[in-house]
Amino acid sequence: MPLDPAVLENEFTEFEFAVERGKIREFAIALGLKDPVHFDIGAARAAGYADLLAPPTFTRQFWHENDENDPMPHLGYDPKRRLHGEQEFEYHKPLVAGTLLRGNNVIISTREKEGRRGGKMTFVIIETRFLDESGELVQVARRTLIETAATPKEAE
Amino acid sequence: MAKSLTYANWDTLTEGTEREFTMGPLTRTDFVRFVGANGDFNPNHHDEIYAIRSGFDKIFAPGMLQGGYLGRLVSEWVGPSALRTFRLRFSSQAWPGDIVICRARVVRRFQDGDKRRVEIEAEAINQNGDALIKAHAVASPQP
Repeated sequence: MPLDPAVLENEFTEFEFAVERGKIREFAIALGLKDPVHFDIGAARAAGYADLLAPPTFTRQFWHENDENDPMPHLGYDPKRRLHGEQEFEYHKPLVAGTLLRGNNVIISTREKEGRRGGKMTFVIIETRFLDESGELVQVARRTLIETAATPKEAE
Repeated sequence: MAKSLTYANWDTLTEGTEREFTMGPLTRTDFVRFVGANGDFNPNHHDEIYAIRSGFDKIFAPGMLQGGYLGRLVSEWVGPSALRTFRLRFSSQAWPGDIVICRARVVRRFQDGDKRRVEIEAEAINQNGDALIKAHAVASPQP
């Protein structure tokens, strides 16, 4: 389905994302991280962090996303043809447990391309800026969401 | 206190230096543990019947699982606060039973003003050599 241009006019509400120790540990365990700065408060402090450090891909979380703040459900994408094509992070400041991030999502680009087997592929880039309580930029994340031309079965 | 890791520095991160590890075989439990951590409840990652009805043979890993493995590879190498940018490009899905080989290599060293930077290319491939993810990082290593 071609992207509805109206979605580009939407403004998405700001959201809060509390960075918790338990969630950092759980995330680090799920990825097999061994660096104690993600698990051990003593080790994190010895390395110069105020608290447990979040792993590099930690901000790609889904807990805080909903219809008001996330563009994804408004793109009109068929869930069966939706792919996460790319994910990018820019790091401006270490992210540690106890931080209350504020984030907001903006659609920064869209384009359509002819699929290899015909039909249109739609690319949308969503940028999320994460600020801490003092208003300083902590990270910028960008995800590219693709609607493919055909579902996997149709493509066979 | 847990023993801290020793990270590579500017002198040791010469062009062509490599690092790798292997994860897997991936289990459905690995997927569920990860989506419980990040909240990605797309049923294609935990509900076999839903995935089959969507046209897949079975459930597949959330891309951010292998993406997170690559993040781990780079951050435990150069140090987590050395990372400046990290980009993941997803090529194909990983399935239960797959082995995920994660490799990273320094491709360039350069000065950005008075700052020293290294550029790293990384990839995750499966046991057949198929690319799962290509990644790119810029880091500012310790002296």
